[in-house]
Amino acid sequence: MKKIAALFAIVLLIFTSCKKDDNSNEIDTEYPEIVTTANSAPLQCGVLTRGQTYTFKATFTDNKELGAYSIDVHHNFDHHNHSTEVNQCTFDAKKTPVKPFLLIQNYDIPTGSKRYEATAQIVVPADVDPGDYHFMIRLTDKEGWQTIKGLSIKIQ
Amino acid sequence: MKKWYALFFSCFLASYVLAQNTQVSVYVSNGQQSAIAGAEVTLKTSSALTDASGTAILKDIPLGSYVLVVQAKGYASYEKRVQINLNNKHIHVKLRPEVTELKTVEINSNAQNLRKNNEARNIQIVDQTFIQRHLGGSLMTSLDRLPGISNIGIGSGQSKPLIRGLGFNRVVVIDKGIKHEGQQWGADHGLEIDQFATGEIEILKGPSSFIYGSDAIGGAINLKPVNIPLNQGLGGSVNLIGKTNNLHYGSSVNLYGSNKKWFFDGRATYQNYADYRVPTDKVYVYDYEVQLNKNRLRNTAGRETGLHFNTGYVSKRFKTSLHLSNSYAKTGFFANAHGLEPRNVDEAMHDASNRDIQLPYQKVNHFKVISRTEFKHENSRTEVELGFQRNFRQEYNRYTNHGFMPPVYPSQMSIPINLEREYDKSVYSGNLKHSFALNQHQLQIGANVDYQDNNISGWSFLIPGFQQFNTGLFVYDKLVINNSLILHGALRYDYGHTQFERYDDWFLSQIVDGNTTIYKKLNRAKRFGRDFNSFVWSAGVNYNPSKFNFKANVGKSFRMPIAKELAANGVNYHYFSYEKGNENLNPEVAYQADFGFGWTEKRWSIEFSPFYNYFPNYIYLNPTPYHDRAYGAGNQIFEYQQSSVMRYGAELKINYQLLSNLSTEFLGEYLYSEQLSGSKKGFTLPFSPAPSALLNLTWSPKLNGKLSNSYFSVDYRLTATQNDVVPPEKQTPGYQVINLQLGTTLSTKKQAFELSLQVQNLFDANYLNHTSFYRLIGLPEASRNIILSLKMPFKIN
Repeated sequence: MKKIAALFAIVLLIFTSCKKDDNSNEIDTEYPEIVTTANSAPLQCGVLTRGQTYTFKATFTDNKELGAYSIDVHHNFDHHNHSTEVNQCTFDAKKTPVKPFLLIQNYDIPTGSKRYEATAQIVVPADVDPGDYHFMIRLTDKEGWQTIKGLSIKIQ
Repeated sequence: MKKWYALFFSCFLASYVLAQNTQVSVYVSNGQQSAIAGAEVTLKTSSALTDASGTAILKDIPLGSYVLVVQAKGYASYEKRVQINLNNKHIHVKLRPEVTELKTVEINSNAQNLRKNNEARNIQIVDQTFIQRHLGGSLMTSLDRLPGISNIGIGSGQSKPLIRGLGFNRVVVIDKGIKHEGQQWGADHGLEIDQFATGEIEILKGPSSFIYGSDAIGGAINLKPVNIPLNQGLGGSVNLIGKTNNLHYGSSVNLYGSNKKWFFDGRATYQNYADYRVPTDKVYVYDYEVQLNKNRLRNTAGRETGLHFNTGYVSKRFKTSLHLSNSYAKTGFFANAHGLEPRNVDEAMHDASNRDIQLPYQKVNHFKVISRTEFKHENSRTEVELGFQRNFRQEYNRYTNHGFMPPVYPSQMSIPINLEREYDKSVYSGNLKHSFALNQHQLQIGANVDYQDNNISGWSFLIPGFQQFNTGLFVYDKLVINNSLILHGALRYDYGHTQFERYDDWFLSQIVDGNTTIYKKLNRAKRFGRDFNSFVWSAGVNYNPSKFNFKANVGKSFRMPIAKELAANGVNYHYFSYEKGNENLNPEVAYQADFGFGWTEKRWSIEFSPFYNYFPNYIYLNPTPYHDRAYGAGNQIFEYQQSSVMRYGAELKINYQLLSNLSTEFLGEYLYSEQLSGSKKGFTLPFSPAPSALLNLTWSPKLNGKLSNSYFSVDYRLTATQNDVVPPEKQTPGYQVINLQLGTTLSTKKQAFELSLQVQNLFDANYLNHTSFYRLIGLPEASRNIILSLKMPFKIN
């Protein structure tokens, strides 16, 4: 039995000695954050009205440096998408899209930002289909970590 | 007592010793310790038959290390490397009956050790017995226990190999001499291999480009055909498999036959499984809570069939075989989230049956025909291998208009509405190898050539269709200096050409340029070709003086960039990534130094295999901070780039025989990778397995005459936390898992029953596997699984 104990001691030594102990060039392993505040818009289960212009507002933070973000609004008439949020919203009945609203836009964030108050104008045309939509925010930091927030909203 | 008498007697006979030569006595018995007369014992060039007491005397044997071969009618042939010295001149050989263990003829651990000591690279060899004992959901999960081997799994039935942290197109799978070609690049694609139909499996850890060409930069898994000995008559076996976790049932039926010159071997495998279970009733996709019905992962059921037929002719000078196989699988993907995409599903519909396969699912068919021919000449051997294979993969998903796709799928489309992706690959391959001896040199020269044609379909686009041609020439020299020293050297030249087809979107995208907005079909792939050349080398040494053995290998390996790396240009919704190929990539090069240190005593052995690996230009998919609107539908851009990478690690294997029927084993693996340049400098590589250790205790009791090969074995696996991650990975906490394996062979007069039982994840631990496809959505690994497998060999005479 002593032999076994000795063997395991050796094994442990080998394994622990392999562990790197240089954290000199510490790498960033933290995701950026999309912080929901009272000012954020839209909110989960929020409602937009056709023919109006909205201001998208969100607060982004990162431990080191933010990268960029994009917004994607697409119909969810078939309920295919799920939001990333805890709260669920009530859905309208499933329906076939005719002229659904579609918005895909990417935006820069000033370099060096650790915190950024994003604002963007969103024009909802008057002739788009009303109903359930999915509002996606994709936020990256400089290292390429991405955080996604998918909100369920309605356009009426 | 008879045995002891025989041994004692033979001691006297062998007691006179010449200066360098000695007399060796070999006592041959069966498992029940009764002597076998008339067995042919061969050592070096001498050969003798055993007498009535089971003893054969071989005279004038020079001291040294040789292969001892014992053959007797009705018994499996025996092969072992033995060290003949003044203290070891009496050898006891136990033969195993042939009928019940037909498939293990060539395979015993000593023959494997012998081969390991002749090979400068690190090699692991397992056989069907190992597969039977550690049977997992797929071949790679069964092999996962081996140190340095892990897998990238999706669901319960599919996984692909990861050797020392390298996988996908960096590991080659050779099936019966021909490179297996599927869609190796995809994390959600498994390996289309029927684990019941494999013979011996050789795993080469470390670069093996000089033998297998491009892609073997991380290692190779060599699946050998089942060996059918001649003169067996007709026989076969029936395997029955049942698993509790995913209510799996399956069977594999084999029928073989051989006479003096001809043999055939046929097999049919069928497996059917339900959704698998995890030790949690809810998973969180981001913050959204998905309730699981009775711990089942919705829609992960599957069906698999495998059909195989091998036939061949053997004569003294000529050997040929033909192998036909077809594997088919239909497997579902977890419905609530495929990759990272949270999906809203009709849970009631899915939960109505746990055996149905709804959308999304995949269907894969892999057909293969391989011909192998070997010509034996006076002092040389020529081998020709020809193969054709077709891999046909379809991924079905409900149509969703990602990006600028039309909201309603146009009725005039010829692509079926649910066909998201289709890959149709046809590959023609040929290998030629000539082996000959020149003094102490054992030389091999060879050539490989293959051509593949890839076509795509489906409403989603990731990589274009392409044609690829590769050819390579190699020379390998093994110089046997003496019984304990072998040198190896190899050179290889490769040429490859890839030609891409143009691809344009089938839908219009909105392009905004300043104040003008236009709609057009985007061109995602242009017609272009790339040529690649590569020259690699390898040099190695084996030194096996006696108890100690040492091996070392240094070499350069390469890999040609694959189609995805050169020409991907589409969104992978599993990761919300827009993957962008880079047509200017150079062939990936790796330099590696491998070592193996071993010490073998009677009761214990130790094997330590460290390695160091340097890539000046590792190809990796870099997640950038940017998004792309037109081509990427607003998704994050992942771009293929090259950076220098350093990797090192080691595996450790210790065996200790506590008592004659109680043994313990320790298996450990450690790997460290770091990118030394580029935008992910300081980061690791994706899918880096965490350090892990496996502690085993095996009790192999001799129960009674009817029960043989009985074992009771416990594996305790400890895996450390993986904190080294690269976007989009998540850090994975460490875990401990206990697996049990027990089995026995019950032999009645007419029939043998090989029974094996496994309990995987005995304590139902809730843990995450860092290299699982579902890791990113925090899906734990499968809960407790009891696997029962019964194998009944039979003979028809």
